[in-house]
Amino acid sequence: MHRRRPRRAARATAVLVFVFAFLHALPGAQGPAEPAIPRGADGRPDLSGIWQVMNGAAWNIEDQNAAPAPHSAPWLGIPANRGVVEGGDIPYQPWARTKREENYKNRLRLDPEVNCYLPGVPRLTYMPFPFQIVQTPTYIAVLYEYVHAVRHLYVDGSAHPEGPIEWWLGDSRARWEGDTLVVSVRHFNADTWFDRAGNFHSEEMQLTERYSFVDRDTIRYEVRVEDPKVFTRPWTMSMLLYRRKEPNVQLLEHECYAFDGVAVGTRPQDRGR
Amino acid sequence: MRNRCVGVLVAAVLLPALAAGQEGGEKRWDPPRTRDGQPDIQGYWSQRSDITTYSIQAGLEDRAEHVSIGGQNPQKGRPIIDPADGMIPYQPWAAEKAKMHHAVHRKPPSPDLLDPVSRCFLEGVPRIVYQGNMRVLQFPTYIVLLHEFGHHHRVIYLDGRPHVPDKLKLWMGDSRGRWEGSTLVVDVTNHNDRTWFDIVGSFHSDAMRITERWTFTGTDRLDYVATIDDPTVYTKPWKLHVQLGRNKPEEQYESAICEGNKAVHVAFGLPFEDQK
Repeated sequence: MHRRRPRRAARATAVLVFVFAFLHALPGAQGPAEPAIPRGADGRPDLSGIWQVMNGAAWNIEDQNAAPAPHSAPWLGIPANRGVVEGGDIPYQPWARTKREENYKNRLRLDPEVNCYLPGVPRLTYMPFPFQIVQTPTYIAVLYEYVHAVRHLYVDGSAHPEGPIEWWLGDSRARWEGDTLVVSVRHFNADTWFDRAGNFHSEEMQLTERYSFVDRDTIRYEVRVEDPKVFTRPWTMSMLLYRRKEPNVQLLEHECYAFDGVAVGTRPQDRGR
Repeated sequence: MRNRCVGVLVAAVLLPALAAGQEGGEKRWDPPRTRDGQPDIQGYWSQRSDITTYSIQAGLEDRAEHVSIGGQNPQKGRPIIDPADGMIPYQPWAAEKAKMHHAVHRKPPSPDLLDPVSRCFLEGVPRIVYQGNMRVLQFPTYIVLLHEFGHHHRVIYLDGRPHVPDKLKLWMGDSRGRWEGSTLVVDVTNHNDRTWFDIVGSFHSDAMRITERWTFTGTDRLDYVATIDDPTVYTKPWKLHVQLGRNKPEEQYESAICEGNKAVHVAFGLPFEDQK
């Protein structure tokens, strides 16, 4: 009896060693603490690929009940959606909360998306279209299917150009903090919104975006919004970016400003002139 | 007189060389290589051919017009190298249509007869190649062209994947590339029929197919030849040549050409939207 115990323990240990060795040999199974993520030759996480959100933030970054769509086909509807704003509500100053309500009421006329203008950052990230990240050690380009937008992320230690500059997509300077890509974005205009619900900012907005892998096919995207002209304090949005994995997936085009009915000269208000 | 003779001489020497480069992928120069062995075309480029987007057929009249509308330098470049007369070999009906485009381009009767790029629509291929500067990024399975003007971008896949289905039509076409020596050969298909080659309305249909040959001829020089085939519009394929030179590294600025564009308002007397 007494002699057998150690033997049984040894057998159990051998089995465990075998199981661990087997698990370790499985690709990508290195334990939950350090998921295997793609890396470039420089050792940095490699964000290259085609990504897209799966949420309703394009409609409303705050909580949203299902509702008829604000166009001529209401049965297409707006999906219910959990907001992406951490802590729930956007901390607007009182005047700004009122303006946001006005924006919402007049969104069919005032939303810059109606003209298919460059939608600004971070709205561009969560438009319901894929985007492609292409990465070099010192420069990352983000190519978007929506109105063929491009963001240039400089990872070369360069500083923002001196302002004031009012760009639709701002100026992006990036750095690595461990495995997180941290992007400072500033020099915005006041003409873009956060969503189709009228959430807005001023030209003083400054963003800090953080891109970090959750696993090899999922990126956590966080963006801290600072704009003392409009909000009572900085606030943060957070969402996931999912890798598009269909075979041969590639960006197509969504050039909606060229659609008949949207292009200047073909809009309803242009008729008969 | 002397200058003209030199010009003819240069043309006589250069054109056959160019033709040889196109046909045989002849190695006159061994380019630097990327880590995975491709000729390394990364960097910053723009055309040196003195081509404007006003008219690729470059009649004297067109040159004068471009000077007067843009204050730009008169164009001397003749991009069409085949046929030899520098003119697009339109079928008779298409020649009539191109003539109509040209006749009305200054005062078009409807927006669809105004240059699509003036309306801020995408340039299409090959027009983007002779419009402004370009940054090339290169990876083992794809090449990315970033054009500053109107933030055009192209991804040229090198991994042998098939083109997207015929039904899909794209402003910038669908690009698949391969290396032949130091020449990058790109098949561009799936074009829509809404882009023009120039402001005066040189056009194609959505049956157009383009074969681009991007040939290295030195560290700082790329020769671009596009063979443009569209049996529904032309009597035969024709070729357009653009010489590109290397530029110093430069950050591209935001080129928001739709936002606030008033070209159509002005052309058709539409009121400007109130500024908010």
